[in-house]
Amino acid sequence: MEKLRGRVWKYGPNINTDVIIPGRYCHITDPKELARYCMADLDTEFIKKIKPGDIVVAGGNFGCGSSREVAPLSIKASGIGGVVAPSFARIFYRNAINIGFPIFESAAAYEQIDEGDEVEIDPDTGTIHDLTKGTEYKAAAFPEFLQTIMSRGGLRGYAEEELARQSAS
Amino acid sequence: MPAQTMLDKIWDAHLVRQSDGDPDILYIDMHYVHEVTSPQAFDGLRLHDRPVRRPDRTLATMDHNVPTWTRSRPSTDEIAVAQMDALARNCAEFGISLYDLHHVRQGIVHVIGPDLGITQPGMTIVCGDSHTSTHGAFGSLAFGIGTSEVEHVLATQCLRQTKPRAMEVRVEGATAPGITAKDIILSIIGAIGVDGAVGHVIEYRGEAIERLSMEGRMTVCNMSIEAGARAGMIAPDETTFEYLRGRPHAPKGTDFDDAVARWKVLAGDADARFDRTVTLDAAAIAPHVTWGTNPGMVAPVDGYVPDPSDITAEVDRQSATRALEYMGLEPGTAIEEIAVDRVFIGSCTNARLDDLRSAAGVVRGRRVHPGVRAMVVPGSTLVKQQAEAEGLDQVFREAGFDWREAGCSMCLGMNPDILQPGERCASTSNRNFEGRQGKGGRTHLVSPPMAAAAAVAGHFVDIRDWA
Repeated sequence: MEKLRGRVWKYGPNINTDVIIPGRYCHITDPKELARYCMADLDTEFIKKIKPGDIVVAGGNFGCGSSREVAPLSIKASGIGGVVAPSFARIFYRNAINIGFPIFESAAAYEQIDEGDEVEIDPDTGTIHDLTKGTEYKAAAFPEFLQTIMSRGGLRGYAEEELARQSAS
Repeated sequence: MPAQTMLDKIWDAHLVRQSDGDPDILYIDMHYVHEVTSPQAFDGLRLHDRPVRRPDRTLATMDHNVPTWTRSRPSTDEIAVAQMDALARNCAEFGISLYDLHHVRQGIVHVIGPDLGITQPGMTIVCGDSHTSTHGAFGSLAFGIGTSEVEHVLATQCLRQTKPRAMEVRVEGATAPGITAKDIILSIIGAIGVDGAVGHVIEYRGEAIERLSMEGRMTVCNMSIEAGARAGMIAPDETTFEYLRGRPHAPKGTDFDDAVARWKVLAGDADARFDRTVTLDAAAIAPHVTWGTNPGMVAPVDGYVPDPSDITAEVDRQSATRALEYMGLEPGTAIEEIAVDRVFIGSCTNARLDDLRSAAGVVRGRRVHPGVRAMVVPGSTLVKQQAEAEGLDQVFREAGFDWREAGCSMCLGMNPDILQPGERCASTSNRNFEGRQGKGGRTHLVSPPMAAAAAVAGHFVDIRDWA
């Protein structure tokens, strides 16, 4: 996968899916429209200040709460390249993978990277490079099957390819 | 064979395929569907010309954004109508049973499944909703999934899953009078934190859990997700079997006896090992009230709003400071001094018949405080009818409560039942997140009797003083 590079926007721990995309917007299916309300109840300036490719670095248990897949979808649609956090709530984690949105688990990165830093992330190796500070962090590598789902653009692509592979063999 | 937990037993019984390096493929016994997280999943099936693999193992209802004010006139909420219409079309096209707005079995998905006897011990159950953990109260493995996986289960009736770790939460001894299942789970989340069980399935054990009714057990398992758990579960016992006996979808006659024999061996082996164990003393649990913006920010009703400056960890201090600012609360305020504007008795956590009975018991012969607007939203249309047959609706109405139609309602702000900015609500729901019940709304999570008492007093009161 291509490397991600952008500026860091930093948030605290336990960011829940209700503040990522409030219930009143959960019916929206158009990603562009969803993006307009991304982080609506957490940071009203979010969508105005971010640029495509920017990275969110947040505290642990990111994405806790509801199973709404529109949460990672709205972040992906906003142009954010990926999220780095010490840990992710499990449903959010799977939802992000299933829609092909890169997320990285690293406690050290959360502790040391500051808002505004320029970072570069190699999704294939999980290496997070803080270009501003000249530091490097290693995210826990995704298990191979999750990498495969990501590289197929999500769960449906993965399942289809698996089925094709099995019926061929 | 090594000693097994209940999680191990249910997992192994549903393995379709296990291979090195890849997560297991699990068979799913029951898939519940609702109108909000399913439309894109059905679109995906249609796009690729796929049928639903097991329509007979799939059940849909309308709950998240249904109107609760009246069912006799068409809803004016265009978004809700569009989602409900889409679900009706999808269910008709794919051959799935639907309990729609006007069906007597309509209700919150996590209320109707157990109520109808569809949820049974030993099952694997999924739904595009995080509170699917509720069904674990029967000794099933039940967890929430996102829309991509809803599509995947519709198409295959299977799910690829990494096995979570097993965590034991023991609640030893008996609770004091007036203490409910809600207080037990809020005290557990307060103790372990909202990330305390990430990556684990919690099995609740101990005397206080065994003594709970099925309704109480569902309340506990429902909020497992609020501690970060993948699921929560409780071993099935006589309470479980008696609850299921005679329900519409439960096995009948000798089939029921055979089922009970199978269900009895689901409990974990005595010497099974958990990855982690946490123990609480039931006798020490007081009625609980959340003061902050996640369910772990909770205090006993005879306690105080904490002072963030007393919190040593910087991140926690910042979170508490932000929470108090949002909630409009001063450090050191006695919980009982917090006045409320609204009271909501409802949700998949606390809108079953037992919950309504316990709230009505507090309300009977009393009046809602003049400064408070209070509402009761039954968890299902059947619960509503049963409550009406017992006269509970009269008790609530005479006290000044709104008595509504069944749905998720003000738990999550997806229909017109919302808080106005700054309004403070005593709520029997499960999440006190910022904006959850409406933008700027302030939510305090409590049990049904505590919510009822707050409606009458106009502020939080210790329900133990009212006994």
